[in-house]
Amino acid sequence: MDSESSAAVADRPENQPAAATPAAPDVASDVVIETRNLSKIYRDFWGRRKVNALKSLDIEVRRGEIFGLLGPNGSGKSTTIKLILGLLFPSSGRVLVFDKDASETSKNEQIGYLPEESYLYKFLSAEETLDFYGRLFDMPGSLRKQRVDELIKLVGLSGARYRQLKEYSKGMTRRVGLAQALINDPDLILLDEPTTGLDPIGTREMKDLILALRDAGKTVLLCSHQLADVQDVCDRVAILHQGELKELGRVKDLLKVRDVTEIHATGLSDSAKDEIAEVIKRHGGNVESIDNPTATMEDLFLNIVRESEARPGARRVSATSDVAKSDAAGDAADHGSGMGDGGSDS
Amino acid sequence: MTLQPDDFWSFNEWLMRPNSFLESALLQGLVLIVLAIVLGLIVGYIVSAARYGPVEGFYAVARAVRELLLHDGPRTSPRRIVALARLAFKEAIRRKVLFVVGLFVVLLLFAGWFLNEESRDPARLYISFVLTTTNYLILLLALFISTFSIPADVKEKTIYTIVTKPVRITELVLGRMLGFIAVGTLMLAPMALLSGVFVKRGLDHVHQVETVEEEGDGSIVGTTDYVQGHEHTFRFAADQDQTVTNKVRGHRHVVTKTKNDDGSYSFDFSGPVDSLVARVPLYGEIQFYDRMGEPKNAGIDVGQESIVGGYSSAGVSRLIGVAQGPRKIEYGYVEGGTLGAAEFTFGGVSAERFGNTDTLLLDMQIRAFRSYKGDIETGIHGSLTFKNPDKPIQSEPIAFIVDEYELDEQQIPVELEIIEDGKTSTGNLFEKLVSDDGQLQLVLRCTDDAQYLGVTRSAVYLRPAEVAFEVNLAKAYASIWLQMVMVIAFGVMFSTRLGGPVAMVSTGVLCVVLSFFAEQIYDTRHYIDIGQERGGGPVESLIRLVKQDALTTQLDLDSTTTKVIKTTDAGIVYAMDALATAVPNLPKMVETAEYAASGFDIPVALVGRHATATFGYFLLAFLISYFLLKAREIAA
Repeated sequence: MDSESSAAVADRPENQPAAATPAAPDVASDVVIETRNLSKIYRDFWGRRKVNALKSLDIEVRRGEIFGLLGPNGSGKSTTIKLILGLLFPSSGRVLVFDKDASETSKNEQIGYLPEESYLYKFLSAEETLDFYGRLFDMPGSLRKQRVDELIKLVGLSGARYRQLKEYSKGMTRRVGLAQALINDPDLILLDEPTTGLDPIGTREMKDLILALRDAGKTVLLCSHQLADVQDVCDRVAILHQGELKELGRVKDLLKVRDVTEIHATGLSDSAKDEIAEVIKRHGGNVESIDNPTATMEDLFLNIVRESEARPGARRVSATSDVAKSDAAGDAADHGSGMGDGGSDS
Repeated sequence: MTLQPDDFWSFNEWLMRPNSFLESALLQGLVLIVLAIVLGLIVGYIVSAARYGPVEGFYAVARAVRELLLHDGPRTSPRRIVALARLAFKEAIRRKVLFVVGLFVVLLLFAGWFLNEESRDPARLYISFVLTTTNYLILLLALFISTFSIPADVKEKTIYTIVTKPVRITELVLGRMLGFIAVGTLMLAPMALLSGVFVKRGLDHVHQVETVEEEGDGSIVGTTDYVQGHEHTFRFAADQDQTVTNKVRGHRHVVTKTKNDDGSYSFDFSGPVDSLVARVPLYGEIQFYDRMGEPKNAGIDVGQESIVGGYSSAGVSRLIGVAQGPRKIEYGYVEGGTLGAAEFTFGGVSAERFGNTDTLLLDMQIRAFRSYKGDIETGIHGSLTFKNPDKPIQSEPIAFIVDEYELDEQQIPVELEIIEDGKTSTGNLFEKLVSDDGQLQLVLRCTDDAQYLGVTRSAVYLRPAEVAFEVNLAKAYASIWLQMVMVIAFGVMFSTRLGGPVAMVSTGVLCVVLSFFAEQIYDTRHYIDIGQERGGGPVESLIRLVKQDALTTQLDLDSTTTKVIKTTDAGIVYAMDALATAVPNLPKMVETAEYAASGFDIPVALVGRHATATFGYFLLAFLISYFLLKAREIAA
């Protein structure tokens, strides 16, 4: 995130409650979304039951956290988000958003929603789109203009602001979608599959933005089936399967493998490794493997793209040692890029 | 055009119907709105009860009403409405609906081939062509743009990003309706302008002089050449330099005479005058007298000018069965050579109102009925007598010959022969014959024995003024605009719940089929009510069709079956009757064009009635749309 774009997200005191940090104590008012025994049954025209999409869901999303809804296709993630937004009516149970019923329109003042695909009007330009959504928040003209400028810069569409959306690539449409979700500087942001259809750079930028939003004190609820996304950014997750809540908790706690110890070290000789194995055996431990780590494909890809931006031309394909190097470079650059500099998918 | 009783109503008479409130438009509007609310609550309750159970259902309905009154209503924001209206507008424009205006231009360009300038009344032909074309084009357009937009939004899920903003359903519905009205207005305005130009240019022509003859007394008589299938004659008195030609096909030309150096004359003709007029008629109350001179409600019925229809002006009263039958006006006849007469009483007559003119303009559209052929060429004779309603003063009878099928434009001199106390002298019509409260009576008689003259209330009128053709055309277009608003409101209403094509068909059926066939439905019900065999309702008609039975015979089935069929039919017809009464009276609005085409000023009261009705239906459609959309699970 560059300084300008983070300012666009953070410096907006009017809607922001006093110092809501992720570590704030659990008070009742800190619950932003609450579902109580929430169920949804899809019926056909004659009222016959078709799908039991959601069964008795009870979750709480607290202020300032990034909450992930995880699950395979058809597990009820999108249904949950639509119930929260009031796009669907619950078959039983309730959803409270900011202590208001989900059917109340006024809750939307504080909500930003990025739908699964960007459902935008193709005949409008980016600027017209954002201006239109700004008007829907009853924003006065000067504020609207300022917000639109900020957001277009934030999502990196300055060059395409007057083009109609039908000429946009998928990634660009997604950016406009994101910008419209942020037009009102919402306290709660609902992201439905935020990284679907984005290339790894876009994905990285999206994740950075989500973290920046959290740092600015916003609450984020996202649903995804891309586990890597969830693992990187979510504070807490709920795992759904066939409409039922299977697991709920902090990502760190859920992923911790308690009976395995991991050691990362550099510059060890083979004899030193043997010695360490010796020590582990002596303490009754069991050495399962001692090996060089592999980087993730995402790290490799990001590294290649960055390298080619720095030094254009054909890349020399080299031996495995490059991968280790790229891993280190990837870590260093992780939080360096903002949404502003990625134009690769236009 | 023959005006019906409700055409004479002032705005207030239409709205309130003094002395018969059951027939009033106000009551009908109120009943409709109340009915919509009650039915809406019942349907809403049934739906919610099915969804959440009987008790929760009740609360759901109560919440919806509370939401409308406390939140959605008062918190409706003009800025959001404008934003949504702009969106609807941009959508339509970027989908290139302006193409329709282009289509209209093409139609106009080719219309010249088909519109026969040589017709008897070219002005009528031109005006009614442009008005009809625009009318149907605009209604079709309104139908398309209004019914396809919301369903497309739901299908493409663009509505998700709207309803998850603090947008109230009221704003969503109003935004659409107003946006489409703006689009329609944008289309209608150029069409109206083009129409005006087209009519004016289409009828414009000049003549050259063909023959001129100087008569003994120094006057000059001439004829013009043959242009657009007609020619004129003109006559200059000895000392005249300017005159007008005779009236052919509804227009005249002004001729100016100039003397050349060699002593001959050259003549200069203006474009057509009087062809595009909007007459402002002053109608009177009509009273018939039979052959013995006794007052009667109606004239003699000479047969086959039968009285059917005319139920639609009865409002709620007909629906609940307390209206007294049909009330359509047809021509009533006066017997010649007897005391039979038709007496018109005009109110509000004064010299000022008629511009202190020296000729009073009187238009008559009189029919003749011959009980013997007689001399067909001389025509049937009648007489006009002006009378002071308060004093025994009247004019000498003015004789005329009936111009059947033509508008007879009489010019009555204001200074005329007046009979007072048995003495005849020249007097002023306004001073002698108009009563103190501004009333003037005209008695119309037929002077040929056993021949008959037919009149209705609208057949004889005074012409105190004229309004500009452009103003009248604007009023005709205002009426088209109102129809468009009506169709858009209903289109949006249906599209909140139904898919695009289904919504379009529903709007079409409601606005066009039902309203245009309303009179037939009323007729059918009337015959069922009075028990007259006229083919019965839909089931009976079907059976008659299959069995090839005549309409007026008894249904040839056993009594139980007949009873079942008749009861079913009555149920269906009554339901259709109720529905037809509830839908907007679009044919009446389309008829407004007839005034402009016939060269009559469109009464402001009529436009006001249409505007009020449109506003009422707009409100109704808006309310229904609100509840339909509110109850809809957008993402389902």
